Amino acid sequence: MSPGIHANHGKEPMSPPKKAGGKKKTGRKTASSPRKRPAKSKATRGKAARRPPGRLRRLLGRGLRLGLLLAGLGLGLLIPWLFWLDHLVTSEFEGRKWDLPSRVYARPLELYEGLALDPLGLERELSAAGYRRVDRAEREGTWSGSGGRYEIFRRAFRFDDGPQQALKIRLELGGGQVTGLSSPVGGGALGLVRLDPAEIASIYPLHDEDRTLVALADVPELLLTGLQSVEDRNFKHHHGVDPRGIARAAWANLRAGGAVQGGSTLTQQLVKNYYLSNERTLPRKVNEALMALILEWRYDKAEILEAYLNEVFLGQQGSHAIHGFGRASQYYFGLPLEQIEPHQVALLVGMVKGASLYHPRRNPERAKARRNQVLDSFAETGLLSAQQASAYKARPLDVTPDAGFSGNRYPAFLDLVRDQLQRDYKEADLRSEGLRIFTTLAPSEQAAAEEAVRQGMRDLAARGLPAELQAALVLAAVDTGEVRALVGDRDPAARGFNRALNARRQVGSVIKPLVYLAALEHPERFSWLSRVEDEPISLRQADGSLWSPENYDRRSHGEVSLLEALAQSYNQATVRLGMNVGLPAFTGKLEQLGVDRTIPEVPATLLGAVELTPLEVAQVYQSLAAGGFSVPLRAVTAVQTPRGDALARYPLRLRPLERRDAVAVLNYGLTQVVETGTAKALPGLLGSQATIAGKTGTTNDRRDSWFVGYTRDRLGVAWVGLDDNRPAGVTGSNAALHVWARLFRGLPLNPVSLDLPEGAGWSWVDPVDGSLSDEACDGAVQMPFVAGSEPTANSRCLARREGEEESFWSRFLDRD
Amino acid sequence: MTVTEHRNSSPRILQLPSLALLGAALLLGACASQTPAPIEERDAVDQQVRTPAKEQSAGVQVYPLKNPAVKELTEQADQAEARGDLDQAAVLLERALRIQPRDPELLQHMAEVQLQRGQYEQALNFATRSHDIGPRVGELCARNWRTMSLAQERLGEPRAAGQAMDRAEQCMVTRPQGL
Repeated sequence: MSPGIHANHGKEPMSPPKKAGGKKKTGRKTASSPRKRPAKSKATRGKAARRPPGRLRRLLGRGLRLGLLLAGLGLGLLIPWLFWLDHLVTSEFEGRKWDLPSRVYARPLELYEGLALDPLGLERELSAAGYRRVDRAEREGTWSGSGGRYEIFRRAFRFDDGPQQALKIRLELGGGQVTGLSSPVGGGALGLVRLDPAEIASIYPLHDEDRTLVALADVPELLLTGLQSVEDRNFKHHHGVDPRGIARAAWANLRAGGAVQGGSTLTQQLVKNYYLSNERTLPRKVNEALMALILEWRYDKAEILEAYLNEVFLGQQGSHAIHGFGRASQYYFGLPLEQIEPHQVALLVGMVKGASLYHPRRNPERAKARRNQVLDSFAETGLLSAQQASAYKARPLDVTPDAGFSGNRYPAFLDLVRDQLQRDYKEADLRSEGLRIFTTLAPSEQAAAEEAVRQGMRDLAARGLPAELQAALVLAAVDTGEVRALVGDRDPAARGFNRALNARRQVGSVIKPLVYLAALEHPERFSWLSRVEDEPISLRQADGSLWSPENYDRRSHGEVSLLEALAQSYNQATVRLGMNVGLPAFTGKLEQLGVDRTIPEVPATLLGAVELTPLEVAQVYQSLAAGGFSVPLRAVTAVQTPRGDALARYPLRLRPLERRDAVAVLNYGLTQVVETGTAKALPGLLGSQATIAGKTGTTNDRRDSWFVGYTRDRLGVAWVGLDDNRPAGVTGSNAALHVWARLFRGLPLNPVSLDLPEGAGWSWVDPVDGSLSDEACDGAVQMPFVAGSEPTANSRCLARREGEEESFWSRFLDRD
Repeated sequence: MTVTEHRNSSPRILQLPSLALLGAALLLGACASQTPAPIEERDAVDQQVRTPAKEQSAGVQVYPLKNPAVKELTEQADQAEARGDLDQAAVLLERALRIQPRDPELLQHMAEVQLQRGQYEQALNFATRSHDIGPRVGELCARNWRTMSLAQERLGEPRAAGQAMDRAEQCMVTRPQGL
């Protein structure tokens, strides 16, 4: 039947070369026999014509009968053939017409007085949401202003909790926060303004394919008219095939001395794109024409044009074909189709003729010549004035140098969105087209995270660490578990292996806090002041060998407090404590904190011989940072059908841990890691003294570098290492800590909350001898204790003061 | 012919929209999002949590100044609650909690809405969170424990419910440590 897939001898492939191993539509190849029929009949007729003339009459009669027979036969074949073509092209057309991707939205920015926001953050949010900066914000989706005073014209938007009107607002920023929010009309103060969210991607939730489909209504006028003027001037009037167009194109080409215009109608080109072949045989052309006629008969022009705009092949990005103007606009200009300018429209229109020949990044010269030819044609047909055309011809191509930013800008985060959709939704629901997916991504924080990884990796290379170091970064809201940013590669725009989600790496000392948590849950035995030996220890392992962990500095530190042991990350002390508390208590903690893997009960796990992904590490620490209220980390908050019905919501669900008193006390210990311990470089790197909790992690032979840290409202996990797990020369404090600090330097640093729940309280103690003390005593510090774990002995200072007090009262009472 | 799903976006055939599937999805979605609140739970929150806690505290109350955004959202949540749209109330409170996740009043409000929605475990957990970081004295404390008590009762834990009610009584009597 159809145009089979043949070797491609055409001048320029309309369609991409198929990827090896990709499925071919072998079903289509089979029916090539009908095509032979006309050829055979021609041969027969030819033979008949060479008979001698004497029998001419009889033969003519016979020929006529034969002709009629053949015509009947042909018609008999043609009709089912047409039905077959109709079936083919219609199912293809319908299949794609409905294949709208799901739109993915970032979390909307909620503006209110007191919100931490600086001008850079605001600009990043607005630009991600496609707001254009103008002199006066007079249209929806624009903003103006600078230096702390802005006007923003918010677009109307349908949220998961209802529609919201367009609104013009006035915003003031100062000192890193919103200082004023009002309506320019009347000037009344506004309590809360929610901006429409950035549309961060269009995806097919069930498979990894990107398209950026456009609706006819959103396509710039010049593209619609310009495309027709160049490719198919008679589009509005023909029925799928345009003989006049062919003639006109031939004439134009003759005049121009080369191929300027094509003779195929847009409908024919659309059919050609469906069948991925560039064969230029006559039967193929006939089939194409027939299918074009069928499409025109079945669908109206607008439907056909829309399908064309989304289908036409406009380039190749690695193994991905760029189909459609929407996607091409993202790929070449990094802009939505609505926002490109006339010279960019002209480039895309010109590329229809040959997407690789006129590829603006590979063949800029040729692409420019072609673009200018198209601009001339625009002028010639009156779409642009001659003046405009020559002005645009002077413009550069204006393509982005880097194709990496094309399409979906947040590949790592979208992996997480896909994972969670597939985990939490029914497949049938995800098949519905055009879902609206609301996510937790904060564009400004994502931008900061990407910047932190790029810069951080540059810094590390400059310090002589391996150039191929890899990195991952997770940023989440502490209390809601909403993932605000995710980076899974040293090049944040890269697709492929997502280390934040999929790299299972040894976690090293990052695990240690759980040993201390297990201990603090026994207030009758342990507090931060309890002593533990940091001395060599040997433990027999399952295989009979001895395991003798050493400290990072290869020294033992004698008797230390638990607080010191955690802050300095002493291995020997931690192993002794862990064995004292018991391995099951420790591995049980991991389970409680959301690690969904079997953890071997062997001593080496106490020092982090456990492989977890950065996201899993973030989950464990979320529970701690939120005071023992565990919530699953999530990237999706709601999914809607195109009509606005909710598919399901991911509501905020809390799971309280039982011993939140111990968690709160542990949090204090983690602030000491930053204040005096292995992460004490952090305040310097951040340029802030804000109280921050965190833990460094390094694995054997410096293969992995971890830092996990949190403020009151943000939790960040940074990992640095090599993909092949070779020693990388990295430690928690020399690599990951720097990446983390780069990120948090750009975020508000709200000090960690050290509020204690019931069952824990603050006491003044003397940390040197571990006794109760008093605020007025030298060297006394205030420290949290799980009730019942406070020291009982009074410090000398406290005893003296109490003595003094007593004597004061006794003197007072003895006065008379 | 099967639906092909691979990266170079070759044509997929036979992706006819399945209206039946879509319909089913819509129906299911509708079912999932609507858990009609039993009327008695709405009364229970008023009569057994809010009113007695208020009477009990007799004005012993200090609230920190509210963020204007949170104020606006809680007012909208109150309106949604009043017209019986508890799902919407929960969504609005969640928005408010995104802005001020550690506002004990807000957390308690959410607990009460969850109770009315019949989400007893979440009611318990939000009230617990509110108590953990709240004043642990006065009206809010009483609402915390009364909510926990009701939730425990509904979860079939009468002993825990009784203990929680005792704690509600103590909110006015003793001042826990640290205050």
